[in-house]
Formats: sequence, structure tokens, C-alpha cells
Amino acid sequence: MKKIIVENLRYRYPLTKELALKDISFEVEKGEFVSIIGRNSAGKSTLCQALTGLIPYFYHGAYGGRVIVDGIEVGKADISQLVSKVGIVFQNPFTQVTGSKLTVYEEIAFGLENMGVSRDEMRKRIDYSLKLLDIYRFRDRNPFELSGGQMQRMAIASIIAMRPEIIVLDEPTSQLDPQGSEEVFKAIRSLSKEGMTIILVEHKIEKVAKYSNRVMLLYDGELVDFDVPHKVFSRDDLGDYGVEPPAFTQICKGLNIKDKETGLYPITLEEAYDLVVKADE
Amino acid sequence: MKSLSLYQEKNTLIHKFDPISKLFYIVAAIAIPIIIPTKTMALFCLAVSVALLLLGRVFGRVIPIISFSFFVLLSIIVVQGLFYYGNSTPIFHAGPLAFYKEGLTYALHICIRVVNILCAFAILILTTRPSDLIESLVRRGLSPRIGYVLSSVLQIIPQMSSTMDTITDAQRSRGMETEGKLLTRIKSFFPLIGPVVMNSLINTKERAMALEVRGFNSKAQKTFLNEEFNPPYNLFVKLFLAASIVFAAAWRIFI
Repeated sequence: MKKIIVENLRYRYPLTKELALKDISFEVEKGEFVSIIGRNSAGKSTLCQALTGLIPYFYHGAYGGRVIVDGIEVGKADISQLVSKVGIVFQNPFTQVTGSKLTVYEEIAFGLENMGVSRDEMRKRIDYSLKLLDIYRFRDRNPFELSGGQMQRMAIASIIAMRPEIIVLDEPTSQLDPQGSEEVFKAIRSLSKEGMTIILVEHKIEKVAKYSNRVMLLYDGELVDFDVPHKVFSRDDLGDYGVEPPAFTQICKGLNIKDKETGLYPITLEEAYDLVVKADE
Repeated sequence: MKSLSLYQEKNTLIHKFDPISKLFYIVAAIAIPIIIPTKTMALFCLAVSVALLLLGRVFGRVIPIISFSFFVLLSIIVVQGLFYYGNSTPIFHAGPLAFYKEGLTYALHICIRVVNILCAFAILILTTRPSDLIESLVRRGLSPRIGYVLSSVLQIIPQMSSTMDTITDAQRSRGMETEGKLLTRIKSFFPLIGPVVMNSLINTKERAMALEVRGFNSKAQKTFLNEEFNPPYNLFVKLFLAASIVFAAAWRIFI
């Protein structure tokens, strides 16, 4: 079941000459975990905003093509209709704090109150998302008293509590330490396994390789590749697009250790280890 | 994290009254001394307000608020003492100017009313969480947008102040003088305020988008996380206050 259909999407920001997105087309299935990679200004965040309707609602500019999210065409439907279908977590957690609530618990309830969710259901969802992101112990704290990482988790929890069909995360672990990042990735993967569709922009390539079902490579607003992580990270020209493959893939490329059947390089430590052991045998 | 709120967390009877009852009290505390313009009534209302502040264990907090308005009250006393139209009995002379008893009495009457109004507002502000007040108003039809603006301002302004401190530190670390003579401070003001304003504008746009994706403009019937705590005595308080205003008006008309 297709959750996202993007057809010939083109977009140019106001007062600019260059297209930020150039004729992008792809489809995403329900429950897929898709990561978007690419160097800075590749169009990753712009694409996220287009998927959530913020483009063209907030950023006007020149817009062409079609984005269909769970059957609703962005640009033709009201953004409040899209909210129940797709949620987005931005890079900067500070700006996602509403500023009107005094505790983390109330902060997460904000979206649910707006959506008219019943009180019992609201509490269930808030407890679930707080525990999933491991911030339950901060529930009575003022949101502005949280650290950057805790605030980022709260921002993710706020969106998860709204139970959208699709979650778009724009560098959600940028302020988290390695352990915190791993926990967030695990939480996101568990949501994906429950059937939620995940679109993630991330520079932590090892995590992308480990958790994604498919990887989208963008370069200067163009879609270069959209395939399983092994295929994308096995590309010889990946460096030309400003992206380095995972460290294990680079080592195996250097040592020419690859899967003989598929001709693809390993992307995780476990895969690399298995291939080295096989090669020794 | 600082907040602009003056709310004092205490477990008293006054804290348990709902915000709307306290708003009713403000209306009554302003209206009754105006409807019955006697000094006795003004003093009685002030005594009730002070008693409520003491009951709420927040009286100490109201003193700075009254002190803040001290110069306004003093100016009322000076102006009325010197220039009140009914002045006839001088108390003392200061050069060519005479200070009169009638003016002083009238000024004290005004000051009692002003202090009473301050105390009535203080009861609301010091014993009610701002979010509870705004939520109560939104439940009764206030636009959620206005409610959001009112509640967010209490936290976002201190955040802007914190951003200002960060930018000041950053500019200082690059050798900018931000303290000392007035001219030095004026010179440093513009390089500081520019980034603060730009930063705030960018944050505002991002926050607007974040609110949007959290259904801020949703057409669904809004619900509330917390059940409204509204025991029957709140209704009694509101009815009593409304009746007091009506009674005061009847007193004025018929007696």
C-alpha cells in the first residue's frame, strides 16, 4: 500500500533562481523506513517540508508536480487535514517547544488537545511516547529546562503521540550523544515495525545503513538514487555526491570484500565480519 | 528557566478557587467602591482583599507590587493636596504653596481604591497558574489563538532574554565592550539587538510551522488534558459576588 507518491516535484524558494527540488519522483510503501542522505543544500529538508505540506503552505515560491500523502494531495487539501496523516520533527528542538505549557507532559498533550483526542486516550498516548523515548522521568519538568537532547526526544514524542501514519524526521539526533541516538533509532524502528512510515534525514551514515529499508540519495535538488542501503552504499561514485559510505563498507571496499552473489559491499559490522570469516574459510 | 509569572505555589483555600471566581472578585472589588463611593466601603473592600491575600499566604508578595506604584500614589496625594477643587483647610505651607486637608482626604480615598484594585489583581496573579487562567478562558470561548499568545509570552520573553545573554557573551568573547559608560553601552546595543531580533524572527517562523503540524489550526473540537476542577462552592462565590454588585447598585439607587 503506497503511503507517499511524489510525481515530478519541482520547487524553487521565493527570491531565488535555482530550483531546490528538481523533478523528483518516488513512492514509499506503508511501514517503510526510508532515509534521505546527501550533502548540505542537497534539498533534504526542503523535500521533508514538501512531504508535510509546509511547502507550499508556508513557503510559497514556485511549485510544480504532485505530492500525495495517504491519498491526500498536498496543496489541494487543508494543512489541518494533513496533520493527522503526517507529522514532522525539525532539526532545532527549541523551536518546537510551544512555549505555552509548563510541563513536558502538557507540552506533548498540546497537539492532542488541538486534534480533539479524548482525555483517557491522550494520557495513554503521552505515557506511551514518553516511555518509548525514555523521558518519562522528565514529565513534570518545564520543557525549557531540558537539555538539547532531552528536548529533541520530547519533540519526537510530541509527534509520535499524535499517531500520524507517516513521520518525517529532519536530523532528529543532531543533539544526541551516541547512546541517545541509538535509543532514538531503535524507537523509530519499532514504530516502523508497527506500520508507521518513517522518512528520516540523517548524516549518521552507520545508523542509516543499520536501520533503513531504503536510502534516498539527493544531490543539488536531484534524486540520484533510491534503493536498498547495500546498493546505494556500494556505489563507486558516492563520494562525488558528498556522501561517505559507512566505515565498514569503506574498509571492505579497500580490501575488496563483497558478497559474491550480489556483488554488494557489507554495510554493518556484523555483515563485514561474516564476509571476512567466509573469505578465511 | 525563569518565567514572567508571579504565581506562588501554595496549598490554600484561595488557590483552590477557580480563576473565573477570582476574575469575578476583581470586577466586584473595582465596581462596589465606585458604586458606593464612601471611604468606609473603600476601606471595607481593601480589608477584604488584604484578608484574602493573607488567607492565600501571599501578602508578602503584594508589598513589592504596591511599592512599585508608590510614586504614582505619592503624585496623586501631592497633586490633590495642592490643587483639589474643594481645598479650603490648609494643613501646612511650603513656600507659596499650601497643602490642604480636603485634597489629602480625597487623595487618600483614591489611593485606597487603587491599592484595593492592585490587591484584587494580586489575588488572581499570585494564586492562579497563568496556564489555568488561560485554559479557563479558552474553555469559556476565548479564542485558542489569543490564549496561546497570552500563555506563550510568559515563557518566550524570558527565553529571548536568555538568548540576549548568550549573544552578549559571544560578542564580549570577541572583544566587544558592553559595560561601562553610557556611550559604550549605546554603541554595543545595536550589534547585540540585531542578532537577537533576527534569531527571534527565525525562531518564530519555525515555531509557527511546528504549531501548524501539531494541529494548531485544526477544525476539530478542542479537548483539554486536565479536567476542570470546579467544585460547587465556586458557583456560590460567583453568585455571591454578582449579587453584591447588584445589591450595591440597588443601595445606591434606592438609599
